[in-house]
Amino acid sequence: MRKPLLLAALLLGSTGCDAQPAQPVQAPAAKLYSPGYPAFTGRVVDLAEILTSAEEERLAAKLEAVQREVGPQFAIVTVQSLNGRPIEEYSIDLARHWALGDSKRNDGLMLLVAPNERELRIEVGKGLESRVTDPYAARVIREQAIPELKAAAYGKAIEAASDALIARLRSRASDAEIAKEDGVIS
Amino acid sequence: MNRSLATLFLAPVAAVSLSGCGVNSIPTAEEQAKAKWADVQAAYQRRANLIPNLVATTKGAAASENQILTGVTQARANATRITLSGDQLTDPEAMKRFQDAQNQLSAAILPLQRLQENYPDLKSQANFQTLMSQLEGTENRINISIRDYNEAVQSYNTTIRTFPAVIGAKVIYGAKPMATYQATTPNADQAPTVDFGTGNSGG
Repeated sequence: MRKPLLLAALLLGSTGCDAQPAQPVQAPAAKLYSPGYPAFTGRVVDLAEILTSAEEERLAAKLEAVQREVGPQFAIVTVQSLNGRPIEEYSIDLARHWALGDSKRNDGLMLLVAPNERELRIEVGKGLESRVTDPYAARVIREQAIPELKAAAYGKAIEAASDALIARLRSRASDAEIAKEDGVIS
Repeated sequence: MNRSLATLFLAPVAAVSLSGCGVNSIPTAEEQAKAKWADVQAAYQRRANLIPNLVATTKGAAASENQILTGVTQARANATRITLSGDQLTDPEAMKRFQDAQNQLSAAILPLQRLQENYPDLKSQANFQTLMSQLEGTENRINISIRDYNEAVQSYNTTIRTFPAVIGAKVIYGAKPMATYQATTPNADQAPTVDFGTGNSGG
């Protein structure tokens, strides 16, 4: 007769979700969001200080307009350092950390430039992958960004790349038309 | 009298504690891990779909590299033969077979990706560049989906070992731990990255 009470008391004692493991588990996975990600202070976060204030304002206005008129949230970030991490990892973690885009539409877009590592990346939310396709993003980097970056014309590079990305966000073409134009293999 | 009062009082509490984070969190964590696994498989499937086009395009410009091309085609055929359903995630051996086949394909693709350095004609072909950008994007999605899957698995494995869920895990579900995914092929440091530093890189 005591047993049910004891069990109930046990359960009562562990209603919280912070119960301890019944046996040791392996060490937790490497933290997805390691500390030290820049704060999301606006649509343009220029921590590497490679943009003039005029460029920054122009870009911010364009990014604000495209979100207001079309929907996707597009952010531009330049960093002093990738903290020794591959840009592919740093970029996706930062975009998730900032939770760019609508959580249902998953329509965030981020242009990341790391001038000291001499790398850049376009991070595309799942919901935008049929608009900003892999070949399109690669072409923007190759044709719009790289030539200017090689000349250390950071502002020009970022503006040219952003304009090309914004043009695509505003495109009225269907997903199928875009896939065809970009040469996407289905 | 005393006992029935106690039962009345404690039963709802017990129910709350079970639904709060105990038994019900097991299927949730399990579904989560299975959904993440579906993403891994979709990303690998996408890679498999790209390869025949890539092989065909490369053949045109670098026909003498038959060995590499045959290796890729065979590795792809092996990899697409082995699938792993969500219910097999608790079977470490089945997981290892899937993993090995995909890792072999990853290893076979690397020389194909490097070929472009020796064939400027190939590299300058718009079609080839288009395919390569999709392959790189896909490889990157594979890496992210594996990382997400492994995190979901660790969370699930912790859940089924943690009190009070461990009671439900053993008694109600017979839950077994799931296998994490090990991609042995070097990824981030091998895939061509965009670097705007020097004269001829940056593709």
